[in-house]
Amino acid sequence: MCSSCGFPAAPGHWTDAGASETHDRLRARFRRAQVLQAVLPKFGLTAHDSISVPGIQLSNMSGSHAMVSDLAELWKEAERMTGGVIDPLDPRLLI
Amino acid sequence: MTVKIESRMRLTLLGGFLGSGKTTWLRHQLHEGRFSKAHVIVNEAAEMPIDDALLGQSKWLSVLPGGCACCVGKADLIALLRQLCDQRSRGENFQEIVLETSGLADPGPIVEAISNDPMLVHHIFVSDVIVAVDALHGLSQLQRESLGRRQAEAASRFVVTKIDDAAPHSVKTLLATLRVINPDAELTGAVKGTSVALPDVANAIADQLPALAGEGERPEIFPTVLNIDQTIDWTALTVWLSALLHARGDDVLRVKGVIQTPAGRLLLQSVRKIMQSPEILPEQNLGDGREDNKLVVIGSGYEAADLHRSLQFFADAGRGEE
Repeated sequence: MCSSCGFPAAPGHWTDAGASETHDRLRARFRRAQVLQAVLPKFGLTAHDSISVPGIQLSNMSGSHAMVSDLAELWKEAERMTGGVIDPLDPRLLI
Repeated sequence: MTVKIESRMRLTLLGGFLGSGKTTWLRHQLHEGRFSKAHVIVNEAAEMPIDDALLGQSKWLSVLPGGCACCVGKADLIALLRQLCDQRSRGENFQEIVLETSGLADPGPIVEAISNDPMLVHHIFVSDVIVAVDALHGLSQLQRESLGRRQAEAASRFVVTKIDDAAPHSVKTLLATLRVINPDAELTGAVKGTSVALPDVANAIADQLPALAGEGERPEIFPTVLNIDQTIDWTALTVWLSALLHARGDDVLRVKGVIQTPAGRLLLQSVRKIMQSPEILPEQNLGDGREDNKLVVIGSGYEAADLHRSLQFFADAGRGEE
């Protein structure tokens, strides 16, 4: 497995299907981190993708953190950390 | 840009309530030469002999008796599908799979099992969920059976069977009711497997479906079309959509659309919480009836405007800093 882009994904989350070339995958990881960094703080969480290793690091305000490999895991873990659902239709995210 | 060619096998899932005419319809399709390159899997909830006529028409056939593939028979189904993938890679000549489920099967968990299997996800994608609905009994099944409703919600296409046996007004009511439960699914009709035209349902009134035990009163199900323009990139869309399906998976019944991405045109299809592994479509839109970059979200319990606003928040994330 390439440590930069995490390819090949095992078994391949559907959200990763939009990038097939290495540079597209890297760009998608940067962009994913950017979107998460805008959304998660509204719920008291932060996300960090170091790019050098596969996965996303999710942290809460009390300092606990977890590594998740894809977005499906991320939303589950975020739910566990906050004790509530991260609802994209939450009024805090409606512009 | 390198665009991958879709090399995975199509799997057509054929479901529908007990006695809804699934086997009759499939037998006729095989007789007419459709699915001629398909390996047919027939799942029976009970230990029952398979229909001889069906056996005769299909070149490749497997029977999964003694367990519904959405629950107790799921492991057997996955094992069989893996075996078929192996056979195909060794030169077997079938090119797609048709899975006729038992009448007790909920298509949702089957799609989920296939999509979540680390091996199958690279070899098979569920291309269609065809649900047979009996014109005589379909309405009462939708009224009384939550399974009947779940089957209808999962459909990408309905085949309304036995139309000649039912009164025209009750067929219209059934069609209008199916339209309310699943507005995006294609409606087709059949008599003994042969396609027949459906009556016009423009003025038909859908039946009010009562709340069933264990289910609260359900608000109206409606489709929302989201325009995925250039301001909404694939990554922002998928972060948003994965969160939406996670948080609102019981409200969002289906999501469907063709999205242009750096990796090609991708067909997105979800059944409730489960997004199937996207199918790569040919670069040219060959008039498959779908307009690119429109995402249809069907569900209830939220405002359509909130979907637009929320998606835009995700799409705009970080843009001001650039």
